[in-house]
Amino acid sequence: MLKFLLRRTLIMIPQLFILSVLIFLLAKSMPGDALTGQIGPQIDAERLIELREKAGLNDPWHEQYARWIGNVIQGDFGKSAIYQQKVTNLIGDRLGNTLLLSASILLVSYLIAIPLGIIAGRWTDSWVDKLIVWYNYLAFATPLFVFALIILFIFGFTLQWFPIGGSVDIQADKGTMDYVLSKTEHLVLPTMAGSLLATFGTIQYLRNEIIDTKIKDFVKTARSKGVPERKVYSQHIFRNSLLPIAAFLGYEITGLIGGSIFLESIFSYPGLGQLFLSSISSRDFSVVNILVLISGSAAIVGTMLSDLILSWVDPRIRVD
Amino acid sequence: MLSSFLAACTKDKEKVKAELTFPTAVSSTGEAIGGGTVNFGLISDTPFEGTLNHVFYTGKPDAQVLQFFDESLLYTNSDYEITNEGPATFEISEDKKSITVTIKDQVKWHDGEPVKADDLLYAYELLGHPDYEGSRYSGLIPMVEGMKEYHAGKADTISGIKVNDDKTLTISFTIASPSLTTGFWAYPVPRHYLGDMTIGEIVESDRIRTTPIGFGPFKVNKMVPGESVEFVRNDDYWRGIPALESIVLKVVSPSVAVSALGTGDIDIADVPADQYLAVEELKNVELLGQIDSSYTYIGFNLGKWDAIKGENIMDNPKLENKQLRQAMAVALNNEPVGEKVYHGLRFQASTLIPPSFPGYHDFDAKAIEYNPEKAKEILAEAGYKDTNDDGFVEDPEGNDFKLTFANMSGSDIAEPIALHYIQNWADVGIKVELLEGRLHEYNSFYKRIEANDPAIDIYQAAWGTGSDIDMKGLYGRNAMFNYTRWTNQKNDDLLAAGVSEQAFDTEYRQKVYKDWQALMSEELPVIPTLFRYSITAANKRVLNYDIAGGSKNGWDTVAVSADSPIK
Repeated sequence: MLKFLLRRTLIMIPQLFILSVLIFLLAKSMPGDALTGQIGPQIDAERLIELREKAGLNDPWHEQYARWIGNVIQGDFGKSAIYQQKVTNLIGDRLGNTLLLSASILLVSYLIAIPLGIIAGRWTDSWVDKLIVWYNYLAFATPLFVFALIILFIFGFTLQWFPIGGSVDIQADKGTMDYVLSKTEHLVLPTMAGSLLATFGTIQYLRNEIIDTKIKDFVKTARSKGVPERKVYSQHIFRNSLLPIAAFLGYEITGLIGGSIFLESIFSYPGLGQLFLSSISSRDFSVVNILVLISGSAAIVGTMLSDLILSWVDPRIRVD
Repeated sequence: MLSSFLAACTKDKEKVKAELTFPTAVSSTGEAIGGGTVNFGLISDTPFEGTLNHVFYTGKPDAQVLQFFDESLLYTNSDYEITNEGPATFEISEDKKSITVTIKDQVKWHDGEPVKADDLLYAYELLGHPDYEGSRYSGLIPMVEGMKEYHAGKADTISGIKVNDDKTLTISFTIASPSLTTGFWAYPVPRHYLGDMTIGEIVESDRIRTTPIGFGPFKVNKMVPGESVEFVRNDDYWRGIPALESIVLKVVSPSVAVSALGTGDIDIADVPADQYLAVEELKNVELLGQIDSSYTYIGFNLGKWDAIKGENIMDNPKLENKQLRQAMAVALNNEPVGEKVYHGLRFQASTLIPPSFPGYHDFDAKAIEYNPEKAKEILAEAGYKDTNDDGFVEDPEGNDFKLTFANMSGSDIAEPIALHYIQNWADVGIKVELLEGRLHEYNSFYKRIEANDPAIDIYQAAWGTGSDIDMKGLYGRNAMFNYTRWTNQKNDDLLAAGVSEQAFDTEYRQKVYKDWQALMSEELPVIPTLFRYSITAANKRVLNYDIAGGSKNGWDTVAVSADSPIK
């Protein structure tokens, strides 16, 4: 196991290096820079030229890359041209919100999807199953930004049960119970919008796996030995059917830091998704590069996690 | 005399050829309750950046946060010219090269310290500092005597700024320019609060990010970075105790702005233009509007930028015939664009100085009126005739004549508008095609326009004039932003006259810019197409709120007539 981990970690180094070069080149090949959007009578053209020179934007790309990667390795992620703030601080501010929202969406979607998948798989073709499948396709087909707006209109504006935006009420002081409650309250609508639509994959996989497993030989054997039906499901079928879900968990964790552009924008919830999008359109390279690098690294780590989880739950593919 | 001048402006304003008119101030007259809280919606897709200082901020959202707690030492009138009605008064020297600012005694920072002359000096020291990375080392700032040496790191102090005593300072410039009255920097920075940090530390510091101070009518009390701010009344405000108890600002997504206004979640917000029809139906808000300083235009690619000489070279013969440009201008039918696409919020532009400068905009200028027959006549006169009967004109030498038209992507309506213009031109026989058959992303669009890509003949873009009437930065011979690369001796003379010492005389200056607008309408290096209204909605409980530039009502006078918003 240790050897496996070590090998995977060593492979990550060239992977990350290639990723960083790619990110940098792709970012550089976008036309314009953070100063392009600032034209107008308020700024002298000479000042733009001076700022570009100062920021090193006129140097050849390999020099810029070397400078950037050198700093990154030393933990200096640079400064955002738009926010005039260290990228680390900027991402740090948003990362908490994004993790909280994504984790709560992930958790709630599992809480909904796993029971539904199991029910649908166990009682295939019953009316409950048909209802679940129907919901599932509807969820798959509904665009998030439409659904989020509908949820917001019903529960935020019409019923006024939950706040319409933001991550916390301004009156709640950090460290108090009010603050925690307010945070939770602000999480409800975006979580609802995100998780109700995020169930598709889990329900579908789980249902299919259960249907497949149900007719496998070892299940038949268990049944013929007189194992009670409830035990057949809980001990034999579910454990095996959860394998693909477990395998996906690693990737899902990667997705946690991506954030959701639509949810963040509609619910005015400051997170990484919005930051990423606005940094691209404003050509805030230092932020874009670091965000891609982080999510790239997370993808690599996530794959490794998935393999680990799989080998833990499925001894057949365990490696030494 | 001033009042008659202002009256003349209001009368002139009615001459603007817009179908819609909006008040700039709320008409609600109820009785103000003592105190109360107003919820201000900052309409934005993204959180505010949170660099809450006039020297350092970059985005418009930050400017919206700043307006409540900080202000300029010198107020401005409707033409953006400085007045003596603000927290400080000014006097311009005989030779017009220096200005003396006197800060009123009762002006205090939120922590109780008086605002000192030294604080304004500190702002200039930050702006000119070699480590300063913002864009505002521009305009008049480099023109302060000794600033260039200080900026280059050759001097420790700015020789042109003299602090006379605690409350007065004199700033001298290397030139005498009337831009002094519109482009003078008067935002002080509290040295006692920030002065012990380096520039890099200040920008990162909580002292401008979460606990900034100013001397405006409200103080920052609490903040959730990027999302919301609670401001409380500043009892020591120099104009007296503000009417409201507090103001809560929160970021609201444009997609829910109208609903939030309708339910009273927010009292005041700028309305995104595409939601105008929806907001118009709300009964609980009043719509205020004013003409923006931005306008849309169509530019011609006429030459190139010589970076070494720092000069525009007009050397592209394809579009140099001004009759061709005139024909293309009168061929455009902007009325349906303003009416149908923008529901009247945009309307035919008439000159290159928008009515947001009431003293300078030429209200008598005839809009470049839609007249396809006249367009055909001008074309024929200029020698552009259809010689091969394909429905499109050929150039005077008889060669095929075809233009490419560059447009930016980013909104649903960009393409229909571009195609509408192309149809307008086709109607008079000018063949125009969309550049590469599609729209182009903002950054790549400007990159190619800046470089005068020979594949582009004409392009549609928009920009703002800012607060200084001086147009040299946009249309001058030495302006890099003069993307058409159009040059003209008379233009040089007029633009120079507009910032000459003589132009300190307002009447003279107005005449210069009137002549300039006429010249530009004749030469048409760019065709102004649309002026625009910006719309703000205010709940009907809000009193004394006025969005007009130069208004006497500030956030300190705003009050409410009810405890909670009208639904």
